Amino acid sequence: MNATTTHSLELVHDIEHFLYQEAALADEHAYNDWLALWTPELLYWVPCNADNIDPTKKVSLIFDDRPRLEERLFRLGTKHAHSQNPRSRLSRIVGNVRLHNFDPATGGEVSSRFNLTEVRTDRITVWAGRQHHVLERHSDTWLMREKRVYLVNNDSVLGNMTFII
Amino acid sequence: MTQTIQFHPSRASGSEVGALVQDGRVHSSAFTDAEIFKLEQERIFEGTWVYIGHTSEVPKHGDYRARRMGRQPVLMIRNGEGEVQVLMNRCRHRGAMVCEGEAGNTKHLRCWFHGWVYDASGNLMQVPGQGAYGPEFDQKAMGLNKPPRVETYRGFVFASLNADVPSLSDHLGPAKAVIDLMVDASPVGELRVDAGVHKTVYKGNWKLVGMDGYHVHYVHASVIAAWNRDPDSGIAATHRGDPFDDESASRTRDLGHGHVMLDLTQHRMGHYDQFTAMLEKLPGGTDYIETMKAKHGEERSRLLISLAGDPHVGIYPNLQLINNQIRILNPISPEECEVIMFPVLFEGVSPEINALRLRQHESFYGPAGSGSPDDAEIFERVQKGMMAQVNPWLEISRGLHREEHGADGVITGRISDEVTQRGQMRQWRELMTAQTAQ
Repeated sequence: MNATTTHSLELVHDIEHFLYQEAALADEHAYNDWLALWTPELLYWVPCNADNIDPTKKVSLIFDDRPRLEERLFRLGTKHAHSQNPRSRLSRIVGNVRLHNFDPATGGEVSSRFNLTEVRTDRITVWAGRQHHVLERHSDTWLMREKRVYLVNNDSVLGNMTFII
Repeated sequence: MTQTIQFHPSRASGSEVGALVQDGRVHSSAFTDAEIFKLEQERIFEGTWVYIGHTSEVPKHGDYRARRMGRQPVLMIRNGEGEVQVLMNRCRHRGAMVCEGEAGNTKHLRCWFHGWVYDASGNLMQVPGQGAYGPEFDQKAMGLNKPPRVETYRGFVFASLNADVPSLSDHLGPAKAVIDLMVDASPVGELRVDAGVHKTVYKGNWKLVGMDGYHVHYVHASVIAAWNRDPDSGIAATHRGDPFDDESASRTRDLGHGHVMLDLTQHRMGHYDQFTAMLEKLPGGTDYIETMKAKHGEERSRLLISLAGDPHVGIYPNLQLINNQIRILNPISPEECEVIMFPVLFEGVSPEINALRLRQHESFYGPAGSGSPDDAEIFERVQKGMMAQVNPWLEISRGLHREEHGADGVITGRISDEVTQRGQMRQWRELMTAQTAQ
């Protein structure tokens, strides 16, 4: 199905804007503002070795509920997170946005692609993949209940991925 | 006064290489020199036992894992008789790798170059156009080559390219009892290494991944801050309290043959009640505790449950058992090392207990973990710093004056003492000087 044609351009634009805002806060290491984009219950998941793993049986790169995510951001906020000192300089492009099972009044699923350039200590790394958001309508704003990141190289040798992907 | 060593690898003698390791110090060329790296490959990775994999990774006929012995590609594969084989991943014809995948199942290994086919035991089954070879061609003798020595201890498969190594049992020595701590934490005494892998790399020498009880308060200060924020948090769950306090009951140990450990046993035993309380909140947790008591008795079950299968040991040269993981080091160059981490699950426990083990592993290890990326970061800074050569010695004398030498040959120190670094470098010197270059 052509996912976007059933929705108004206004809605699509609104969702795209949310994804761009999320990407900008992640790129800027704005941990508190980024955390504020989440619902109280949440799942931040980056699978490893394959896209379709069962996280209760296989290891992930990140499988955070709210306490684990808050702990991650707390640690990054200390002065001693050496692998982010200096921080990665990040710039990501988000595109190919498609809405799935989406109700403009309550929310639904959004898939997109991202291409993230990272520069740290004179080393340049390209991260790319699909991302999958579950968004919920909360009064006048959207919030993320799930964010899943499917890296194209999640089965490869990976370096430092301690920033918000 | 600064003492320099003139090192000329092309005419290196054992004594020259041996001089790089002295009481309480190591010459940094052991970490930076390309010729030394080559010698390490020959004399260490091709000269002693190296870890290949765990039998549970290849449960069925044809299951394989591509691994390395130093620079050399090998396969661990289960054959039709149910035996785990280690085969050199090299066609007997023109040398191509016969298995290009990293993991999978295949009953036959087919070389893409000219179609030679081997079975999972390495026997040569088929040569296209075989009639073109003369009567001297002996198909039976043309199977895949195997390392001269392969032995297994409790599912841990080791191989050696040196036929003259002592038995694996003698090589491991006291380290066997430490491996037991991991295996016996499963209520049925069996591990499951099938939860995937974290593969990382850092730009630093492979020997920098030591067993170091001194660095924790500094490199992992951010994690300690998280422990202090919430003692029940994910990161803290495997390390109640601070086992790396120098006044704590934690110890460093040199078990011989380069095998070294951070022995956190006494500290962890002190937190038995908190560990069991955490387990009892999980489905199957009470069963696990009861089964362990019935099987191992009160005293050993307390030890096994407190440690949760974490011996914190380095088995020289390429294996480490730390927290919930089996870790393999693959040196790539003097300045680059791959670290692959396999989370270990237990047979015979609830899915929830194993899922918790995965979450604990992810919290500290892997590319996005809270701990290992900081380790990698400091290793890279060490590698860069070592290029400053006014005084090229590294200091590893901490606690040298207070080492305790046990009757069993085990050397013990406090948790921040460099007993472990000395033990590994002593074995390095032993292996590097065991034979001299031409």
